[in-house]
Amino acid sequence: MNNVNIRDSVRRTEDIRFVSGQGTYIDDMNADGQLVGMFVRSPHAHAAINGFDKTDALALDGVVEVITGADWAKLGFGFIPSNSAVKENTDGTPIAVPERSCLAATRVRFVGEPVAMVIAETLDAAREARDLVEVDYAPLDAVTHPVKALEPGAPQLHNGVDGNLCVHWELGDGDATEAELEASDHVVALELHNNRVTAAPIEPRGTLAIPDMETGVTTIYQSTQNIHALRAAIAKILRLENDQLRHVAPDVGGGFGGKNSLYPEPVVTVYAARNLGRPVKWVNDRSESFLSDTHGRSQYTTVELGLDADGTFRALRTTTIGELGAYCGTVGAFTPTGGSARTQGGVYAFKAMHYRARAGFTNTAPLDPYRGAGRPEGSFQIERIVEKAARDLGFDPIELRRQNIMPKASLPLKTAMGLDVDCGDFLTVFEKTLAMSERAGFAARAAKSEENNKLRGFAIAPYLECTGGMPKEHAIVTFSKNGAAHLAVGSHSTGMGHETALCQILSAELGLDMDHISFTQADTDATPLGGGHGGSRGMELGGNAVRQTADEIVAVGKQIAAYQFECEVGMVDFEDGSFFQPGSNNTMSVGEAVSASFNPDALPDDLAPGCMNIGSTFERGVISIPNGCHAAEVEVDPDTGVIDVIGFWIVDDFGTIINPLLADGQVMGGVGQGLGQAILEQAVYDGDSGQLVTGTFLDYAMPRADDMPHMTLDYYEGSPTEKNPLGVKGAGEAGCCGAPPAIVNAVLDALKDHGVTHIEMPMTPEAVWRSIHLT
Amino acid sequence: MYEFNFNRPASIADALTAIADADDGQFMAGGQTMIPVLKQRLAMPSDVVELANIDDLKGIAVDGGTVTIGAMTPHSEVHNSLEVADAIPALADLAGMIGDPHVRNRGTIGGSVANNDPAADYPAAVVGLGATVVTDRREIAGDDFFVDLFETALVEGELITAVRFPLPDKAAYMKFPNPASRYAIVGVFVSQSNGDVRVAVTGAGPCVFREVAMETALAADFSADAVAGISVSGDDFNNDIHASAEYRAHLVTVMAKRAVIKAG
Ligand SMILES: Cc1cc2nc3c(=O)[nH]c(=O)nc-3n(C[C@H](O)[C@H](O)[C@H](O)COP(=O)(O)OP(=O)(O)OC[C@H]3O[C@@H](n4cnc5c(N)ncnc54)[C@H](O)[C@@H]3O)c2cc1C
Repeated sequence: MNNVNIRDSVRRTEDIRFVSGQGTYIDDMNADGQLVGMFVRSPHAHAAINGFDKTDALALDGVVEVITGADWAKLGFGFIPSNSAVKENTDGTPIAVPERSCLAATRVRFVGEPVAMVIAETLDAAREARDLVEVDYAPLDAVTHPVKALEPGAPQLHNGVDGNLCVHWELGDGDATEAELEASDHVVALELHNNRVTAAPIEPRGTLAIPDMETGVTTIYQSTQNIHALRAAIAKILRLENDQLRHVAPDVGGGFGGKNSLYPEPVVTVYAARNLGRPVKWVNDRSESFLSDTHGRSQYTTVELGLDADGTFRALRTTTIGELGAYCGTVGAFTPTGGSARTQGGVYAFKAMHYRARAGFTNTAPLDPYRGAGRPEGSFQIERIVEKAARDLGFDPIELRRQNIMPKASLPLKTAMGLDVDCGDFLTVFEKTLAMSERAGFAARAAKSEENNKLRGFAIAPYLECTGGMPKEHAIVTFSKNGAAHLAVGSHSTGMGHETALCQILSAELGLDMDHISFTQADTDATPLGGGHGGSRGMELGGNAVRQTADEIVAVGKQIAAYQFECEVGMVDFEDGSFFQPGSNNTMSVGEAVSASFNPDALPDDLAPGCMNIGSTFERGVISIPNGCHAAEVEVDPDTGVIDVIGFWIVDDFGTIINPLLADGQVMGGVGQGLGQAILEQAVYDGDSGQLVTGTFLDYAMPRADDMPHMTLDYYEGSPTEKNPLGVKGAGEAGCCGAPPAIVNAVLDALKDHGVTHIEMPMTPEAVWRSIHLT
Repeated sequence: MYEFNFNRPASIADALTAIADADDGQFMAGGQTMIPVLKQRLAMPSDVVELANIDDLKGIAVDGGTVTIGAMTPHSEVHNSLEVADAIPALADLAGMIGDPHVRNRGTIGGSVANNDPAADYPAAVVGLGATVVTDRREIAGDDFFVDLFETALVEGELITAVRFPLPDKAAYMKFPNPASRYAIVGVFVSQSNGDVRVAVTGAGPCVFREVAMETALAADFSADAVAGISVSGDDFNNDIHASAEYRAHLVTVMAKRAVIKAG
């Protein structure tokens, strides 16, 4: 009997499958009679298309079909949608959402944009044919820098979009902020850059579409984070009903936001399969993944902080330029606007805040959410300006933070950005992190570094974020007569372990043997409703949906038990997997209740056989507020500029921790991505040609195991949220909110005696070396 | 990949015949560079002649004054060889810094030097130790072997059979890895043998080269201080998103200093 509880570090049940090569990813799947699809992609950052010639490609042996952008345009299908939650500019005009065709017909706007699809009997034939599709391009000037794109005279991407501007937007009270800044004794300003990165999931995107010509239903297997919303989007573009498509995500090898969006390739793949009446499979290779996956971050920002002479913060103003790439992605304009604005100011108290954003189009791959989707950007902005203020004005950075952290007694409150902060104890979390980080020995360690001609630094970075994503989630529990349970949930793991955590919740709530719970996710046939994965919603939505379903099962079980006990339902209690009537000897196990639930004779009149099989939709009221604190100790080699992150300490408040092992994994992975952004990763486009310079792992610096510091983690569970029944706050994106500022500020601490006050991310060895020797 | 004929000869003679008979043949060692190039359709050989079955190209032999490494010996074998570690520890050390375990298990010394990637490590050892590249038809001094970016003294169809290293009195290799690829942004190999000093630099320029000013200074005084003050010109150095020419020039001095210290 494997009975588990909430807070148990249950080991991941899916890992046996993953580490023994038995995972099922798109490229592992093949269907009878399957064709292979490949995409012809633009080699130009910006060009007009004068025409296509597919004669040679079609003439090749084994080639079944070639669909060019011109062909696609004639089919008259819809455009790729963008569903930004921010739909209007500050002045009430609609934001610019240019049309984006699945296959470009008359103009390409980034290197890698699909212009045609070839479909062939074999991969080799498809590849050969791809090279034979002729596209007549007339190159145009390109702009790949988001700031330059908004300047007068920049090459224009879209007819009808003036100055490449998609959105101008603000949040907070501009006048009050201005007044507070004017009343401040000091105003400290900093320009900074959240560098452009790409998720590079281990499994590239891919789709296998299998049409059933009899039923008219096409089954789409896709490496995606978001089956329900994307099924609807694909159906809409292809003018189909939702139920003509079944959308399944098998094992998904990482997403990090990059598999949230609707991309062109799966839509054309589905069309091709339906049109040809044969399964069609397309899988990106790594180079295509670099070129065509959505990228993340990329903001150029000015942050201004106003403080009193004693260090008390008054106001914060953030003015940012965001980047959308060539088109609006699925979440599009939201990330650099609302996504980044909501958590401005972090854990600190402000009298006023104001956030202003402009975001525009560039001749680069579209940008969309990347783990954190705006909150890490905001966290970096506030923690860098606080550090700068401390340095410039002579405050101790730790003390200045301590002094300005929102006191527990001030909660609940609504921040000047409108964020509903219900609970938390930011100061306690801060102090716990500090206590953990072995400050006492720092001076001795720094002296030792100095002996070795190294510089040691430390920084602490509290963060405050919020969850997001679709507000509803559905869970279905189906029992078999022997008591085994099957759990199907609409939310969706791309590797983070829902299979374990969600079954663990069900097991804990019902007292069921965890080994007797099977699990399905990400299949529109198995779950009628689901919100995919994004915004750290896995436990907040999926977990609570399971909890709510379990509660409803218990309610039915009580009716069954009461019927057998011959007592009022209200007299039945439930604990540790049994129903019982206090003060009597009457008990009934869950297993007994389940078998009774299939026996008409054991049920009261108002219950039908199978009555414990229940599906329930949980709806979130208000998003929760995960928060925490990171601290980093680094050593810098001044001769080379190399940074070694030596120590890393984290205390997170994610509310109730369902499974500490899984939470640790989320935090560590997030820190990996945060460290990557801070010192390694950067997607670089050549300014003139618009080519992606970092098109392979030879040039795109992914963090590796030996780049990672040892991490010490702890959780603060002292203020669970009442916003949801489990009291969870979302753990998925926190790691990359805390790590970049902690690491960057620690490096700057190490360099403080060299007069270095700012280095942009990624802090490459050369950038660090230059800052020491050439400033 | 385009179509090609695949040959797997079991002797050097058969390999040479296969290449001679082919329209446009190419040897393949561990395929670590070849396979990606073929996959991306950047090369279109008519024949690929795989060397993996030729025993005469494998293995490590140490005699009195030299270490001879067969062309098909993988980096991991050189790294783990107790004989190499004993005779030229710097060479075993260098082999262990190449790529990752997978690459070290497949990549070979013959493939590495034949390829002459500007950021490869072995060329620094070949030049830094004054080694000899042995081919099916002649012996080529390390100093003459590496000609330019991806260009060597090998003529068409010439097969490297081994690389022969003389034993130095002391030697060391310091590598500054590219954070993305882990190839060398700058690698400096220093050696001293009978008062003769060599300083070979890889990664910085289009091709490995000897840093003569440092060699002269070290011949007079084999100490870190002797090279600390020597700054090299970055005029012809590589310049990319990872490192400017100026930074590479700076790193040559830093790595040279550290290599001298490591050599002891
Ligand atoms: C991920 C990765 C990381 C790497 N990191 C590093 C690194 O850090 N440092 C480093 O130095 N290298 C690195 N390499 C290169 C690697 O170590 C190999 O040395 C290199 O790729 C050559 O591989 P190979 O021996 O399999 O030769 P192949 O790829 O089979 O051949 C390479 C070339 O050499 C020719 N050739 C091969 N053998 C002979 C021969 N006997 N005679 C004549 N011509 C021959 C072939 O025709 C071909 O042109 C890396 C490679 C990869 C894939």
